Amino acid sequence: MTPNAAASSAPSRRSFLASTAVATAAVAGGMPLLAACGGGQSGSKDGTTSGKAAEKLLPAFVASTVVVPDIPSKNGSSAGFTKPIDLDALKTSVPKKLGGGSQLKVMAPMWGSPPSNDNAYYTAVNEAVGVKVTWQNQDGNTYDEKLGAVLASSDIPDVVVVPGWNLNGKIPSAINAKFADLGPYLSGDKVKAYPNLAAVPTDAWQRSIFGGQLRAIPMPASYVTNIVPFYRKDIFEAKGYELPKTADEFLAWAKEATDAKAKVWACDDLKWTAFNIYGVLNGSDKALWWDLRDGKLVNRIETDEYLEALEWMRKLYAAGVVHPDAKAVKGDASNRFTAGQSLVFNGDISYWYGSTAEQRTQKTAFEMGAFDIFGPDGGDPTIYATQPAGIFTFVSKKASKQQIKDFLALANYCAAPYGTKEYMLTAYGVEGTDYTLKDGMPVKTAKGNNEVFGAYDYTGDPASYLAHPDLPEIAKLQVEWQQRMGAFTKKSSFYGLTITEPNRFTNLANDFEQLEDDVVRGRKKISDVQQAVSDWKSKGGDGLRDWYQKLLDDNGSAAN
Amino acid sequence: MSHSTVPRTRAEAKTDEKTPAGSGDTAGPRGKRRAGKLSLRLRFRRDRTLILMTLPAILLLLVFNYIPIFGNVVAFQDYDPYLSDNGFVAMFESPWVGFEQFERIFQDSGFWHAVQNTFVLFFLQLVLFFPIPILLALVINSVIRPRVRAVAQAIMYLPHFFSWVLVVTVFQQIFGGAGIIAQTLRQHGYEGFDLMTDPGIFKFLVTAEGVWKDAGWGIIVFLAALSAVSNDLYEAAAMDGAGRWRRMWHITLPALRPVIALLLVLRVGDALTVGFEQLLLQRDSVGPGASEVLDTYVWWNGIRNQDFSYAAAAGLIKGVVGLALVLTANKVAHLMGEQGVYKK
Repeated sequence: MTPNAAASSAPSRRSFLASTAVATAAVAGGMPLLAACGGGQSGSKDGTTSGKAAEKLLPAFVASTVVVPDIPSKNGSSAGFTKPIDLDALKTSVPKKLGGGSQLKVMAPMWGSPPSNDNAYYTAVNEAVGVKVTWQNQDGNTYDEKLGAVLASSDIPDVVVVPGWNLNGKIPSAINAKFADLGPYLSGDKVKAYPNLAAVPTDAWQRSIFGGQLRAIPMPASYVTNIVPFYRKDIFEAKGYELPKTADEFLAWAKEATDAKAKVWACDDLKWTAFNIYGVLNGSDKALWWDLRDGKLVNRIETDEYLEALEWMRKLYAAGVVHPDAKAVKGDASNRFTAGQSLVFNGDISYWYGSTAEQRTQKTAFEMGAFDIFGPDGGDPTIYATQPAGIFTFVSKKASKQQIKDFLALANYCAAPYGTKEYMLTAYGVEGTDYTLKDGMPVKTAKGNNEVFGAYDYTGDPASYLAHPDLPEIAKLQVEWQQRMGAFTKKSSFYGLTITEPNRFTNLANDFEQLEDDVVRGRKKISDVQQAVSDWKSKGGDGLRDWYQKLLDDNGSAAN
Repeated sequence: MSHSTVPRTRAEAKTDEKTPAGSGDTAGPRGKRRAGKLSLRLRFRRDRTLILMTLPAILLLLVFNYIPIFGNVVAFQDYDPYLSDNGFVAMFESPWVGFEQFERIFQDSGFWHAVQNTFVLFFLQLVLFFPIPILLALVINSVIRPRVRAVAQAIMYLPHFFSWVLVVTVFQQIFGGAGIIAQTLRQHGYEGFDLMTDPGIFKFLVTAEGVWKDAGWGIIVFLAALSAVSNDLYEAAAMDGAGRWRRMWHITLPALRPVIALLLVLRVGDALTVGFEQLLLQRDSVGPGASEVLDTYVWWNGIRNQDFSYAAAAGLIKGVVGLALVLTANKVAHLMGEQGVYKK
């Protein structure tokens, strides 16, 4: 996901991403109906909605002209802002207060300690929007465990945030049963009442169609892979290492660079990068696991690339070049990286800013860069696109009309683009309390760091962008990396759709992630994966293929 | 393991069984009069204060232990909590599937693997863990200076209050591949090692962690039993010429016997519970092959995969087997002439 990285404090963002990187793996199928039964009411119908049926639901797109990014989006990248915010010339994107003063209880994941509900920041946002939001924050790392129970109760909060990687098991059917249809407020031209929401890309809205209805406010994301292989630029330069350009070169370099005696290992776990190097279908959403090859749908686990990527990662582990704590899946990979115990690690693109900013404050010589993903034998890679929206915010069916309108007012406010007054409030809080000005730049105070993070990030976001007022060069590097990788990025057959698999299939592939981790760490063999794939086929994988094939026949492919 | 009331002597245990739960202390004055001879009303009037005092505990037991038992019906359903507005009501609307969930479980090799891991861990813990608190209690008991004794006890109890997250982290920092020991070895020209990611020795590792964390805590019950042994016995034995070992063999250990038997029965009844958080925390380090036990299996399927009925069925199997085990162990204890947990 593409966070509005500037909006949150480094530590919370880091742990947030650490968990997503892991969670992305397991991710599940989305939901909704076959186009054929498009428009049907709720229930746990499976399938998806696309094409004509979707067009009726999708909000109109009206690009925002309030602020122009310094680097426009290209090849699916985020837009980049590389100039400091001009605080004297902040634009206004919400000229009048839209909220009607409703109470909204919002349940959301949080990676960090929640501040008290009556802090200056929350009060100021509530006041500016015209709502009374009460946050019910849950630990983001175990959010899926709480979500299931909360949705099963008769008393669900008015607004519920659901990360895409939590759409497991029966959660999709719960969403269809419990959350309101926002179509009557947003579809077509109705969205124009909320100009910032009208500027959210259609791709992201398409993902918000659950069970045949437009049910969620999406958090738009770049479709270029969010997993970036980072390396220690300072150490590479000091030691005179060249960046490896093929899978074999990497292994050879890793053996040379590992010095266990000095507590330095070449890399951390790179499974996700291995998948990208070898051109494995994207694993972040079950619908993306499928692709049409020679007229037949193929699942990522059936491909040779999948096995090759696992084999390469297994070789790295076997050679002892991976940090032992990564083998034990303990501790924080980014900490090992900043401490110089590992020289390469992969993680969400936001680490680029988070780790650099953290190290700058500590005045270390730390410099990080990112590899361009290479093909296994060098040359251009094939990378598969991730979904263009990854986190969704829903409103309970029991909410009143006024509550829904006020929620949309909140979403519209939070979706204000970078460089507006609204952005300054949601991203930095109250001037003087949460941030102060230093050389014309906003700098968060201790209070700001404790209060202004991870809350209003989920209740509305503009089109994906990257901006770091304090480190503009990082935003530039990030966007440029996305644009280079975007050029090699392909969309698989079900890209952009939110798909609900039938209940009998939802748990079919759940154990593959564990199996991958067993194989790369040498506890199981590649042949065990092949066995598991053949079991998967006979236990329903082939049935699931037929089901997806029908979906494809009905909806057409998104592939390019 | 937590243990509530432990009879200090056999005589007292006998009086206990004749009186209503929790009223052991009043047994004395009533002498040998059989409670059964009084009418229910009279007994109620006589004990009303005591009954009143037990009410809160009974209430808790009802709400958190007995009422949830009814939830087991979902094991015979294909339960979907989102069928209705309310997860509880959904129980009445979910379709019945008979023993289908159980059939699925018995056909799943993962389940049998979890059962196997559970039993192996149980036996390891029984052999390697269970005797340690007894030994420690004997050692502590032999320390005479109160200050030394207090300090030793405090040090031994302390790890009990650490969370599993902390315990696992400490072990990782010491025995992990980049831990203190491995790095020290490497710096002196030896090969490092990694105890934390080796599935082969994982069960010993888990047991060792358990011993470090809880063995000290386990000595409390034994110390209590030891403190009830009259010093007169030791003095008399010493007068008769019994040495240190003979006194331990003939006085100390017989005094501990009922407690050991009781705890053993309880432990066997609990055999299928071999740790949950501890194993879940280390699942990724060694893979589910080595770390999956019944409790984590239920969690994985129920909470992670949201296959509630399947998980409920697996939990029910565990409960039934556990009940059979505790009854058997109790019977064996009786045959050995011990009190066990209860007697008819």
